[in-house]
Amino acid sequence: MASRLSRIWPTLSRVRLSSALGSRCVSQTPSSSASGAAVASDLQPLSPAAQDSHGHAEVSPFEKNPDFHGFHHHDSFVDEWNMRLAFFFGISVAIVVGGTFIHYLPDHGMRQWARREAERLIKQREAEGLPLMTDNYYDPSTIVLPSSGEE
Amino acid sequence: MLKVLIPTIMLFPTIWLTSPKWLWTTTTAHSLLIASISLMWFKWTSETGWTSSNTYLATDPLSTPLLVLTCWLLPLMILASQNHINPEPISRQRLYITLLASLQTFLIMAFGATEIIMFYIMFEATLIPTLIIITRWGNQTERLNAGTYFLFYTLAGSLPLLVALLLLQQSTGTLSMLVLQYSQPLQLNSWGHMIWWAACLIAFLVKMPLYGVHLWLPKAHVEAPVAGSMVLAAVLLKLGGYGMMRMMVMLDPLSKELAYPFIILALWGIIMTGSICLRQTDLKSLIAYSSVSHMGLVAGGILIQTPWGFSGAIILMIAHGLVSSALFCLANTAYERTHSRTMILARGLQIIFPLTAVWWFIANLANLALPPLPNLMGELMIITTLFNWSPWTILLTGLGTLITAGYSLYMFLMSQRGPTPNHITGLQPFHTREHLLMTLHLIPVILLVTKPELMWGWCY
Repeated sequence: MASRLSRIWPTLSRVRLSSALGSRCVSQTPSSSASGAAVASDLQPLSPAAQDSHGHAEVSPFEKNPDFHGFHHHDSFVDEWNMRLAFFFGISVAIVVGGTFIHYLPDHGMRQWARREAERLIKQREAEGLPLMTDNYYDPSTIVLPSSGEE
Repeated sequence: MLKVLIPTIMLFPTIWLTSPKWLWTTTTAHSLLIASISLMWFKWTSETGWTSSNTYLATDPLSTPLLVLTCWLLPLMILASQNHINPEPISRQRLYITLLASLQTFLIMAFGATEIIMFYIMFEATLIPTLIIITRWGNQTERLNAGTYFLFYTLAGSLPLLVALLLLQQSTGTLSMLVLQYSQPLQLNSWGHMIWWAACLIAFLVKMPLYGVHLWLPKAHVEAPVAGSMVLAAVLLKLGGYGMMRMMVMLDPLSKELAYPFIILALWGIIMTGSICLRQTDLKSLIAYSSVSHMGLVAGGILIQTPWGFSGAIILMIAHGLVSSALFCLANTAYERTHSRTMILARGLQIIFPLTAVWWFIANLANLALPPLPNLMGELMIITTLFNWSPWTILLTGLGTLITAGYSLYMFLMSQRGPTPNHITGLQPFHTREHLLMTLHLIPVILLVTKPELMWGWCY
């Protein structure tokens, strides 16, 4: 664990060296832009704009890996598995399973139930020839009013 | 709340302990899982008001859509940055993803906070990772200037808010949103109260941004790397709208009169920024100004303080978050190939990338509010409620809609149609990753058409 943690603070030079040695250097884009453009590429002529403004001196990754998916430049195995996992967790889990979960959420505030119930009541009352709603919100017989005579 | 917050914090060990080879794979998968789990927030257990697992963090129908949007954006940002961060040294890649993950942590705590002061602290805390992302990973030297604008506009706006919040704490004795919504309306009648009112809102109006204090936004968008632009457009601007909605509840008696100038400014801003879009040469700047224009409508909807205004504002915020983020991704894919944001230098890309032209087309239509997408629903609700307030607003909002259609057409024509310039040769084909990225942006927008009540806010 400690050795892994030590990776958190590597010196800049060490990392550059190791990344330059350990890879096949398909895309030469070190962050300090001046040095990056110096690497010559035999696969694609550098446009002047790419040379001086951004330091990108890119070789198409499709040259080495025709099935390149855009996930990892050097390693086709990682590239493919990264794509599979991104599709699985993005589409299958988040969109499909998540969408199903959202679809089957409980009826919040019983709004859908209220709508169905209203439609059922309308049909029932129309069949019975009753008005859809009575004028009285409360049943008048249940309301106890003081008699007007007593004052 | 913690079931999402703790996995988000556990992203940091994932980022720093996985082997360099699998760094992007594990973080993408981990953050997508978090996004999936975050959908659990939609299961509101209370019929009205807050669903909380503890005193400090809670969700309600207003914050939930924004929280889920925040969680959804992190995997998309990771997917979008993969190509241009990959060549950097591994420690810098880790640092970059750490900043993005810390942004998500702060945003979850901001949207989930029940104490306004905690919301304030997290609101400020999001500035730090965003500032580092812009000033460290931006492309031009102007990024330092953009970072200064971004930081000082937001800070200058939010310092009065801190004072205003402390005053509120002194007069009411609490800053908990759970309590404040039931407190007595404040007696606001003096000039000092008006200043207090303005101090409560200006921070959020700057963040929205309102026309007049929006200058930091196009700068920040243009200079930021793609993930910075995405999170700015999709979530950070929405902090402003969210904060405004939270504060409006308390500012009630004064807002009726004092909101007028701000509503007018917001509506005027829709037209002005839309017109600015019509004469942009820079692709990212155009998308940034179109964000300002849409956010003007959101600000109008919130300041009008009707249920339709609030609902429309949330719907538009969520829809705009996904769509403008998609547009920034598309702009970045073009930028990574042509190394230029100038639209006239990269015309006629439809011939080279037909499928990407379809993405551009769909994203553009969504941005200009094509029915039945939620963008249209949000805009319609806000326009209707503004019209109900004053019929004259239809001139401004209607013209704004027209201009939106105009600059969307302009953007599509300039980037996709026309003759391909001769200097564009040997562009890389589009990657599966980029198509996946666009799919993950646009499928939620389409799915939301079928269940819009998720983002109706307090009206649901």
